[in-house]
Amino acid sequence: MALGTKASQTVLSVRNLSVAAVDAAGARPILSDISFDIESRRVLGVIGESGSGKTVLARSIVSWLTAPLKVTAGEIMFHGRDIVTDQAYARTLAGREIAYIGGNPAGALDPTMTVGAQLVEKLSAVRPDISTRDARDKAIRLLEAVRIPSADRRFHEYPFQYSGGMMQRVMIVDALISDPALLIADNITQPLDVTIAAQILKLMRELNEEFSTAILFICSSLPVACDASDDVMVLHDGRVVEHQKPEALVAAPQHSYTKGLIAELPTLWQDGPASEPQSPTRDQQAIISVRSAAKAYYVHSRGQAGMSRVQAVRNVDFDVFPGDNFGIVGESGCGKSSLMRLLTGLERPDSGTILFKGENVGEASPRRLRELRRKFQLVLQDPYGSLPPQSSIGNILEEPLKIHRIGSRSERRDRARSVMAEVGLSDTLYEHLPTNLSAGQRQRLNVARAIILEPQLLIMDETLSALDQTEQGKLLTLFERLQAQHGFTYIFISHDLTMVRRVCSRIAVMYLGETVEVAPNDRLFFDPGHPYTRALLSAAPTLEARRYRPEECLLEGEPPSPIDLPPGCAFASRCPNVFDRCHRENPTLRARGNSALASCFLIDEHESGPIPQESHNA
Amino acid sequence: MFVVRFLARRLFQGVIIVFLVSALIFTLLRVVPGDPVRLMAGGMAPEALIEQIATDMGLRDPIYVQFARYMSGVAQGDLGQSFVRPASGAALGGASFDDTTRSERAEVLTLIAETAPMTIQLALLAMIFALIIAIPIGIWAGLNPGRWPDRIALYLSSIFVSLPNFWLGIVLVLLLSVKLQLVPAIGYDGFAYTILPAFVLAIEIAPFIIRALSVSVASVMSQNFIAIAAVRGLTQTQIVFRHALKNSAVPLLNLLGVQFSMLLGGVLVIEFIFDYPGLGLLTINAVLQRDFPLIQGIAIVTAAAFVLINIFVDLIATVIDPRLDY
Amino acid sequence: MTIIDLPSSAADQERSEARIATRIWQHAFASTEFKIGLVVFVVLLSAALLYPWLSDIDPTKMNIRAKLTPPVFMGEDWTWAHPLGTDQLGRDMLARTLVGLRYSLLIGVSTTVLMVMVGALIGLFAGYFGGWVDTVLMRLTDAQLSIPMIILAITILGVSRPTIPSIILVLGLAGWPVYARVMRSMVMAERKKEFVRGAMVLGATDLRIMFALILPLVLPPMMFVAVLDIARMMIFESVLGFLGLGVQPPTPTFGNIIADGRKYLLNAWWIATMPGIFLVVTLTSINLMGAALERARNTVYGGT
Repeated sequence: MALGTKASQTVLSVRNLSVAAVDAAGARPILSDISFDIESRRVLGVIGESGSGKTVLARSIVSWLTAPLKVTAGEIMFHGRDIVTDQAYARTLAGREIAYIGGNPAGALDPTMTVGAQLVEKLSAVRPDISTRDARDKAIRLLEAVRIPSADRRFHEYPFQYSGGMMQRVMIVDALISDPALLIADNITQPLDVTIAAQILKLMRELNEEFSTAILFICSSLPVACDASDDVMVLHDGRVVEHQKPEALVAAPQHSYTKGLIAELPTLWQDGPASEPQSPTRDQQAIISVRSAAKAYYVHSRGQAGMSRVQAVRNVDFDVFPGDNFGIVGESGCGKSSLMRLLTGLERPDSGTILFKGENVGEASPRRLRELRRKFQLVLQDPYGSLPPQSSIGNILEEPLKIHRIGSRSERRDRARSVMAEVGLSDTLYEHLPTNLSAGQRQRLNVARAIILEPQLLIMDETLSALDQTEQGKLLTLFERLQAQHGFTYIFISHDLTMVRRVCSRIAVMYLGETVEVAPNDRLFFDPGHPYTRALLSAAPTLEARRYRPEECLLEGEPPSPIDLPPGCAFASRCPNVFDRCHRENPTLRARGNSALASCFLIDEHESGPIPQESHNA
Repeated sequence: MFVVRFLARRLFQGVIIVFLVSALIFTLLRVVPGDPVRLMAGGMAPEALIEQIATDMGLRDPIYVQFARYMSGVAQGDLGQSFVRPASGAALGGASFDDTTRSERAEVLTLIAETAPMTIQLALLAMIFALIIAIPIGIWAGLNPGRWPDRIALYLSSIFVSLPNFWLGIVLVLLLSVKLQLVPAIGYDGFAYTILPAFVLAIEIAPFIIRALSVSVASVMSQNFIAIAAVRGLTQTQIVFRHALKNSAVPLLNLLGVQFSMLLGGVLVIEFIFDYPGLGLLTINAVLQRDFPLIQGIAIVTAAAFVLINIFVDLIATVIDPRLDY
Repeated sequence: MTIIDLPSSAADQERSEARIATRIWQHAFASTEFKIGLVVFVVLLSAALLYPWLSDIDPTKMNIRAKLTPPVFMGEDWTWAHPLGTDQLGRDMLARTLVGLRYSLLIGVSTTVLMVMVGALIGLFAGYFGGWVDTVLMRLTDAQLSIPMIILAITILGVSRPTIPSIILVLGLAGWPVYARVMRSMVMAERKKEFVRGAMVLGATDLRIMFALILPLVLPPMMFVAVLDIARMMIFESVLGFLGLGVQPPTPTFGNIIADGRKYLLNAWWIATMPGIFLVVTLTSINLMGAALERARNTVYGGT
């Protein structure tokens, strides 16, 4: 990537940098003895887990350390001049020569001013010699360069009218508008969905070639950093433990921390599911059976009379059989959460049926629903928000029994203690408040609360998302053991492909409220039937050789608004294989053999042989 | 388009609010003891005559009939006539029975229209004083949370809010008007008579503005886009004056809208202390004389003013912050 | 998103820590303004409770010969028997002021409790159920909010005879809308949280979620802020007394003492000013404590 015509020149040179949190109690080191160089046109990736000091490193370079953080030693040389000691010099660089993009695009601009006005304001502040008119033209030109559709119109829109991905593009424009020599990109893809994050990364690499900017790319995912960078530096406990070319790093990691990191990385294709799930018998009755479920919400939207209809769930079809591990994956806004509310009976579908062991949950009386709730339980996503504050662990566990008036006081107590033992929580915690529990322990408590009613079905709504790899592994083992003991059926709702690859036997992929593909695990990953599934797989961060090339599968643009869905296939606007019929008709799920389903017109032809190129000219 | 729809919806809600207020006040005045006719007619009037006047005036009809009659008047802009005030001025009533025909009694609407400008003058001046006192202190405190400007603001607003307006009025009249003879007070004979009452009112309002402003400035200053603005290369002046202040204006505006009724409450007492001939003094006299139509009229007019002011405030707020969508 | 990735989960953990009320107390108590307020308040409160009893002076006892005695620090005729002097009827001003303080506190506290209760209940229902329940309750609240409280109060008290219970009732019922609004928005925020959804999935009834789960979380922080309103209600009480619509003479209240004193402003200014200073000091002490508590609450809730 750095094969420019101009010779590379060292832009930033960090020498022996140490940063500490200094307060009355003393100095606690955050970064120790960091040294590296970045040359123009090069991308240096920095990875590390939270707490490794990578964000502090980014902030030291942009002179944005707030108390109690302080540079205690070393220098940061920008074009040969130290910006740690020369604060006045650092101020002239801010936003002009050293640009910064953070991981929170939604809160990065003043919500009360238009995006365009703020881009112009910034450029005029750092380059007073540029006229407002030129600044404006440059802003619009760059907005076009980052592929914001109808840039001259969107120039006059406010930040809240931009989606997260679009806003991150705006922040890239904001950073590059002053032609900086160095760009600090701190976790810029973190809040974005994988397909959008992949677009942003691709864009960043293209711009890097065009603008000859040096980039310090900070992120927490090793595959993403390896994909994006010319060199990768690994931070651990505030120290640089490794600094290599990405290929060398993956092939021959030197430090034990990096070795562990690479070994722990989940894979999509190399290993199969953790333990081959026994295929549940499909001849018995399904425990959950969803048929054409649909749910719309009415929201008050700005500048429109009355309410707008948001079609959150539609055309959802699947069966889950007893003993199954069923996965539901999709990006934000795909209707996973709405579907979860329908499955748990928190809301009733507008049409279609949700049968729990043959009984329609959507039409059950409130009283019957309360009884049914004992049989299917939900384990929530947020380990901190999901536990009622100010209740002791014992009380939290006994609450479900009290609600359903089960057992005497002492029986409830015994039952609570026994589930605590089952999920691996120490008995001594019974009287304690959940305050000091780790995220993993909290999720164990959540699981314990769900299984105390002895349900048959457990719905895991992003239950593992907040946990690190090691902790995830432990909980998955726990789930397996509980399943073996109690015969639970699990539904995992997740955005994490590697997790569902590991545990699920069948997986449904959702896009804009629909199930676009339902297939057994191996089939989904090795022979996906829907182009959206292929795009998801191509964007998944992994170090493996990709089965699906991002160049072929990566999506352009963003999903259409669920308020006014286009007719035909909802995916048509982003589909690489789109043809006429897709804009007229909505393909519903169709069988591809071997209990796999996908909603794409190309399937019929796929299954009967290769599709002739003429038939789907875009 | 947005503005028209917004106004239509809010005015409709406003009509409902004014209707509820009317119903509330109307009912309250009918269920509490105390016969206004006795007061009007005077203590010496024979019982039969009182009954007759009451019946003539429709005061013996069921409440809902009276209310319907009253509201149909209100809808046509007729707030009725005062029980006790003649069209010319001074209050009637007392020991002698005066058989004035109803046409000679003052129109409630006229009484309010005559006094309202005085009160608006007082309220506006008070608001200006309050903003002059509170804005610098509030911003200064908000930019330095936890440090001494913030503490000064806290102590100052705690003291201001602890000064009962009537007592402060008396003390300031004694000191500034009687002893030092700096400003005139008591009664009204020119604009100068507005200054002291407005100042007392301003002291009453200022602490709320100080508190709201310091909290909102501090919270805006801690937001991500402010922190990141310096990294993007904006100067401190740009950050504070173009971004922070604009963003903290919305909570302040909302406070001013809600505090309007507090302002009116203060006006009432201040006008009484300073014998200032405005709406507040009119209200207190109306209550003391059991002048029901006048009390109702004032309640309806103030509720309507409250509604209009809040619509106006929300409209400005949407101009400042386009995310808002009322 | 945490700003610094080092102390990341510490803030989260602190936030979810139990006994929010205790932590608000601790924060508030650590501040100078709270301590100052508390000391002054305790001194005044003990004086109000003890002095009229210890000194054996009847605040309503007239002594025409000792009328208009000035306070101790001025004039020639002063006497230690009447440290703050006497009024136009020769009644001891200190005793009258301190008895007035008792009534003022009694009415201030009871009124605040009443309006917090009414407001909390209405806000709880409006915020939890939303929809038409919310619309109806909030329209009512708007209507109530749009009549200046004092107009409502003097209207009711002006046409009926004011007694202590009627004053408490009127002020309490006039002041609830603010609490209803605050409570509503707090309940709406809590209702969206996952643990509430969790309880629903477990099958808990609405009333159980409202009263056992949400109310204990949102009520204490609101009660701390209500301390400021005790002072506001005490001012209202004195305004009513001043207008002659408060507790009726001969019972001394700040309002009626100052109203009496106003007539003698030129030759005996202390009658109106001295009780006022007492009232201002008391209110300032309460307001300082209230402001400290409000800040503590904001800190604990991750505000400023």
